[in-house]
Amino acid sequence: MKVDILIIGGGASGISAAIKAHHQDLKILIVEREDFLGGILNQCIHNGFGVHLFKEELTGPEYARKLEKFLTEDVLIYKNTSVVKIEKENDVFTVSLSSEARGLEVINAKAVIMSSGAYERTRGQIRLPGKRLKGIMTAGSAQRYLNIDGYLVGKRVFILGSGDIGLIMARRMTLEGAKVLGVAELMPYSNGLNRNIAQCLEDFDIPLYLSHTVSQTYGDTSLEGLDISEVDSNYQVIKGSEKHFEVDTLLLSVGLIPEITIANNLGLKIDPFTRSASVNQNYLSSIDGLFFAGNALHIHDLVDYVSKESELAGERARMYVLNNFTKARNEKEILRNQLIRYTVPQVVDFDNLTHNFDISFRSKIKATLAVFRLKQDGVVIKEKRARHVIPAEMEKFTVGLEDLISTNELVIEMEILV
Amino acid sequence: MKLNNVKSLYDFLIVGSGIIGTNVARELSKYQVSILVVEKESDIVNGASIANSGIIHSGHDPLAETLKAKLCVEGNKLTHELSKELGFHLLKCGGIVLAFSEEEKLDLLKLYENAVTNKVPNVKLLGKKEVLRREPKVNNNVLLALDVSTTSVCSPWEMAIASMENAVLNGAKYLTNSEVTNIKYINEVYEVEINHKDIIKAKNVINAAGLNTEKIGLMLEESLDYHILPRKGEYFTLDPKNKGDFTCVLYPMPSKVGKGVLIVPQVHGETLIGPTGEDVKDNDNRVTASGLGLIVTEAIKISKHIQFYDNIRNFAGVRAKSSYDDFYIKESSKYLGFYHLAGIDSPGLTAAPAIAKYLVDMIKAKNILVKKDNYIKGRSYTPLFRYLSEEEKLEAIKADPKHGHIICKCENITEQDVINALNGVIPVDTVKAIKKRTRAGAGICQGGYCERHVLQLISEYKNKKMTEVDYYEENTPILLEDIKEPK
Repeated sequence: MKVDILIIGGGASGISAAIKAHHQDLKILIVEREDFLGGILNQCIHNGFGVHLFKEELTGPEYARKLEKFLTEDVLIYKNTSVVKIEKENDVFTVSLSSEARGLEVINAKAVIMSSGAYERTRGQIRLPGKRLKGIMTAGSAQRYLNIDGYLVGKRVFILGSGDIGLIMARRMTLEGAKVLGVAELMPYSNGLNRNIAQCLEDFDIPLYLSHTVSQTYGDTSLEGLDISEVDSNYQVIKGSEKHFEVDTLLLSVGLIPEITIANNLGLKIDPFTRSASVNQNYLSSIDGLFFAGNALHIHDLVDYVSKESELAGERARMYVLNNFTKARNEKEILRNQLIRYTVPQVVDFDNLTHNFDISFRSKIKATLAVFRLKQDGVVIKEKRARHVIPAEMEKFTVGLEDLISTNELVIEMEILV
Repeated sequence: MKLNNVKSLYDFLIVGSGIIGTNVARELSKYQVSILVVEKESDIVNGASIANSGIIHSGHDPLAETLKAKLCVEGNKLTHELSKELGFHLLKCGGIVLAFSEEEKLDLLKLYENAVTNKVPNVKLLGKKEVLRREPKVNNNVLLALDVSTTSVCSPWEMAIASMENAVLNGAKYLTNSEVTNIKYINEVYEVEINHKDIIKAKNVINAAGLNTEKIGLMLEESLDYHILPRKGEYFTLDPKNKGDFTCVLYPMPSKVGKGVLIVPQVHGETLIGPTGEDVKDNDNRVTASGLGLIVTEAIKISKHIQFYDNIRNFAGVRAKSSYDDFYIKESSKYLGFYHLAGIDSPGLTAAPAIAKYLVDMIKAKNILVKKDNYIKGRSYTPLFRYLSEEEKLEAIKADPKHGHIICKCENITEQDVINALNGVIPVDTVKAIKKRTRAGAGICQGGYCERHVLQLISEYKNKKMTEVDYYEENTPILLEDIKEPK
């Protein structure tokens, strides 16, 4: 089969991209490995989604169902289907799909949008000490077991990492009868939203141990206990500061990594900081026709932002297929000073600059008051002050075409005022 | 096999189903003898054999004239043959031993002599230029290297399971969750007590219990001329996306405590960095901050380009080093037909098929073993879907549509792959046993996606509730409570 745009992943990102990619003359296919659209939203049964996009507080499944309604019937959807290979030859993508219903099949596509989401960092990435025990798993896995499959993975639980999934799971496990003994966070501040600290921990008297990490795990086959220890300013364990907890479960909420394995063989230019493709303002990667969106591009704070960004990626994929872009690119890197961890997009293509665009970025460190400046040719073209800057919260500049004074590199700088 | 199906008297009872026990079972199954392998864990192959570098060493390193040297060189050759016969993967990547100082250069020349004496095929010295041409990511202060091209890498548990499946096809029996708790020698028959209650009788006992060989030996003997000195090795496992950074096994110069921290490309694309070498008590396979830190310090002496950031798993294995300077493969001097296979640390994996032959030759020197006429050479198994050719895939998916359902997206493992493993020659019913056979859960997300699919399939095909499916050992369910059921 031939399609114009193939969208990998039917979560918030893929649906949003499909909605805006839609055009009467274009054939669009969403490939989704699960039996339902909506991706990870389906297991997020708490509320707080949609405040920006729909101006109301929805649960994850409500957000997904509401978003799905914007999909028109001419968008093809393959559920229970996995992408097993992507190749590109002569401007056409050959995408191999696998499903129980249709077996192996090959789809040719003019453009591909990677909206494949992210996977959770595991114990391997944080060098968790101890044996290969049962009872240690990612918070998202526990959430899926609980909210979709209906099983509790632990009765006495400790959580490492104060990301939102960890905080949400602290409350959720408690409500289902588990005892959550605490949450440890390596950093001196939480990476989760303030409302989650209040509603998920404080309301249930669950202690949050900042500047702490798990320094030992105990048990022979199953987890039986663990120690947490305080860490110094270099995140090294301070000996003698151990606190012991007897638990059967340790949930890890220590970050997400864009899931782009399937595109690894294409020779993509990768940004080591986002661990995904380097893209221009049209969300186009170094490979022509291969777009990235949502958590597959970089990790977002809110699903609303995923939707908004993915809509743009969908729109630009549509423009690409309709030949609204030139093939030649004049890409200039967005430079940043050492206080900025990364930017998305990473480059600006001045040959295909048709719309105002957003630059999302994260600071490397916490600041009470900071100023961000966007410069071109040494001139400040945008400036904003921000209070309570933390790496966990994404910052943004919206760049108008009229703001630009040349086709030279943009530079983002952060200066700490307090 | 359930204990109540056990024969009254076996010719050979093998204690332990690691790489040694399984290879011995396979070698003996060529003869007209009855064989029982007893394993204390819930699945075969679960000790040192599943937590090591996976290297099939060339034999350059063991001191000349030792059993280790002889059996390593022989074992390397045999493993390459067996890989074809039994259909297990072998990465024929070769290896290089690197010298970074004038002192190491001199030692490397001695190592070269040792390799030649050990009759390692095709060893040669490589100059700096040649090393950097082959392995551009090696630090450029390398001075000289020893090329040991017969070095390969296997997936040790795949090899052990393949050997055991071949043995089972040829009539060998096995028992899991069966710990040997006592051994008595009564009227020229060994009475082996299992789990403190049942007795199994055997004419011969082969003690291949790895870390527990000394403990098992002392159940019978008053004293032993070896002690097991467990030594732990910790590892990093790097994301397969870095495949190609290092194309062969990179050894630093060996030191007194072992081969040092190596860079080892794996059969399935990961890169192992390790091991450490730390004396520990018993099976202390904990990874530690200090051990992992040491690996980083040591490994960057070989290459500054190791992507530790892409680590997907740390693990530690405990090898059964012994106080005896060599492999200890001997019949008891007092108890006829009781064989000790002790101190099988590195290069034990490589030597395993040769150790099995050596042992069987030892047995044949005193006993008459008659070859089977109907010995089956290979094994009956279905390869994982991912290893089939495109044509074979189409055929397989036609026959089994469940090959279309990818349940592990990191390793591209299909639902049918899992079903095949559940119902293999050695059936299994735990999450980790499935991981060992299919690699579901071994990829970058470490089971984050596939584990629930595996649980569901075990539940469905083994008629267990989801809350009854164990991670691995008995009583290790991943799901503790079904919240849909009324309390």
